[in-house]
Amino acid sequence: MSTAGSCLERDADLQGSAVGAYRWDDTDATARTSARRPTGLEQGQEQETAEERDERFERDVLPFLDQLYSAALRMTRNPADAEDLVQETFAKAFGSFHQFKPGTNLKAWLYRILTNTFINSYRKKQREPKRAGTEEVEDWQLAQAASHSGTGLKSAEAVALEHLPDSDVKQALQELPEDFRIAVYLADVEGFAYKEVAEIMGTPIGTVMSRLHRGRRQLRTLLEEYAIERGFLPATRAAAAEAVTSGAAANGWGQATGADQGDR
Amino acid sequence: MSGAQDKDDGTPCSEVLEKLYTYIDGELEKGNVDQVRKHLDECSPCLAEYGLEEAVKKLVAKHCGCDPVPSDLKDKVLDRLARARTEQHAREARAEPPGTPA
Repeated sequence: MSTAGSCLERDADLQGSAVGAYRWDDTDATARTSARRPTGLEQGQEQETAEERDERFERDVLPFLDQLYSAALRMTRNPADAEDLVQETFAKAFGSFHQFKPGTNLKAWLYRILTNTFINSYRKKQREPKRAGTEEVEDWQLAQAASHSGTGLKSAEAVALEHLPDSDVKQALQELPEDFRIAVYLADVEGFAYKEVAEIMGTPIGTVMSRLHRGRRQLRTLLEEYAIERGFLPATRAAAAEAVTSGAAANGWGQATGADQGDR
Repeated sequence: MSGAQDKDDGTPCSEVLEKLYTYIDGELEKGNVDQVRKHLDECSPCLAEYGLEEAVKKLVAKHCGCDPVPSDLKDKVLDRLARARTEQHAREARAEPPGTPA
């Protein structure tokens, strides 16, 4: 409980102007030194010495360390790589800090650097342990989403999921394919708006919505499985969930309401 | 399965369920928000589905963002920054003598 509390407080401190119109000045290719642009905001920067800029970096950016570490851990899924990724991210942010426009969204700017760094340097060396067909199972899940079953069951289920230990929830997120995992993390943990997630991941908003949709469906299925394994949910649902994940129900979902065919 | 497709508000459940994530994320346009809210007020199965999806979202928010940070990570980052700073200042001093026009 206390960790969750501190997490929220931290977020409130740092979030500041999370949503709103902002432009990132990240045109690396042109590599212009913003200090020379005669706009109001940057005029102030012109007087800023390198030392002052360094101080500003440490003051404004360093507090994101803990938060970025958690994000890096979710991305890389191992502490050693997460530490490297965080260091790399800070080094890159430092190197392009002169391109960051004060008053725009610093948090989103940092997450973009983190995400890009991860995608460009770490993803390659990591072998994603793909669960067979993970990316393809969603059609039935999406179809499922368009209808609902018993009410009582659902609220009981919500309660059951809330009792899952920390490690199960992390594990479930960890199991998601990378793009889904990052989208869900950015939206649900960091509270970024769709538009911000799109800019951070460099994809259209439609893609973000689709990744969130699919990611959350899978996440829910996994959490349900864990809850069943722990005995928080009745096993009849386990049979249904198993039949479905193994693809057995692809042609027979409608009749499988008894859901005892998956018994083993 | 879902028997009732239309409630008094005239919106099919399937349409509401499709919008559930955007509704929960606060990204639905105003007109649609009212439509979804009205439907949820009247349709308990959809409301239960909403509750479950919201619970999952909260669960992720609560558990996935607060990992204990290794105690030496801050020092490692500071070391890295110190190196980057030295390099950058040397580079800037070489490449941009003060007063050079852009």
